[in-house]
Amino acid sequence: MRSDPVVVRLVARACDGDKSAWDELVERYAPLVWSICRRHRLSTADSEDVGQSVWLRLVENLPGLREPAALPGWVATTTQRECLRLLRLGRRIEPVDPLANSKDLADDGRAAVDEDLLLQERRHAVRSAFAGLSERCRRLLSLLVEDPPKPYGEISDAMLMPIGSIGPTRTRCLDKLRAALIGAEFEQTGGGERHAR
Amino acid sequence: MPDDWLNDDDRLLAVLADALNDARAVPPGFVEAGKAAYAWRAIDAELAALTYDSAADLELAGVLRADSATLRALTFAGADLTIELELTAEALLGQISPVEAGDVTAYSGPVTDEVSAIGTAVIDELGFFVLRPVPGEPFRLLCRTASGTAVLTGVVSP
Repeated sequence: MRSDPVVVRLVARACDGDKSAWDELVERYAPLVWSICRRHRLSTADSEDVGQSVWLRLVENLPGLREPAALPGWVATTTQRECLRLLRLGRRIEPVDPLANSKDLADDGRAAVDEDLLLQERRHAVRSAFAGLSERCRRLLSLLVEDPPKPYGEISDAMLMPIGSIGPTRTRCLDKLRAALIGAEFEQTGGGERHAR
Repeated sequence: MPDDWLNDDDRLLAVLADALNDARAVPPGFVEAGKAAYAWRAIDAELAALTYDSAADLELAGVLRADSATLRALTFAGADLTIELELTAEALLGQISPVEAGDVTAYSGPVTDEVSAIGTAVIDELGFFVLRPVPGEPFRLLCRTASGTAVLTGVVSP
């Protein structure tokens, strides 16, 4: 995993008693924990138990986390282990496929955790970049990604924007999102990677 | 980060949709519980993991209900200490092993970023303790032995 100076700083601050840094860490990694629980097909109640165990272990291990940059991997591995432990205890899993037994689920899960990790890091980067956009861009893009898709007429009404402006504004907002993503990437890698445009 | 999705407007928008949906899929309570877990930082103890829960064993749970006063049996194991618990209607019975005297405190919470002690009991020299009444809310137990071992269980929802 690439080292992320933001995570390193958050871990250091959380260690020093900064609750807001802890909150940020939780917000950042809760989707990762949740998605791994879902992959193991745990019920909501069991997913909450796993979440609690993971956060408690993280609280306990914060001071001893030798490599704060490795935190995402640590969270993924710990979540995976807690999911498997619950499955071993024989807790209910949500009935999905009668042929899928928990051993197969565990194997699938293990193979998929690395994938989860990469995907979640990307999603987090996209959400961070999105959060930094202007309110107008955030509103327009939110409307544009609605499922089922909203007709441009409705978007035009909601945004008080002529239909003809939606396309060009969409392009501008996505350009800004792209620029923010590339900027964040440069910050992380110290500008070591070049991005072809 | 592969750039193919980054350079195409439609794909970038699809990636954004996925990222926003992913965050929305996480129940707010899940995130809040995680934030609240920070309060446990105040308690310096090794975590013991749940290794047995009769509630997970439906057949056995039926037997327990029919034949004894025990409503539920749980085991938490840490590296240095194992804690066996039995919940009855009147009391929470426990034994630690290896056997040693000490004390046990039940904590509830965290509420408004603080955990609070809701009951204590002495662990006798045979490692037994009785906590009355059974906490009416989710709780964790902190067992401290005379020799200085401190072990915290996971959350038990009675």
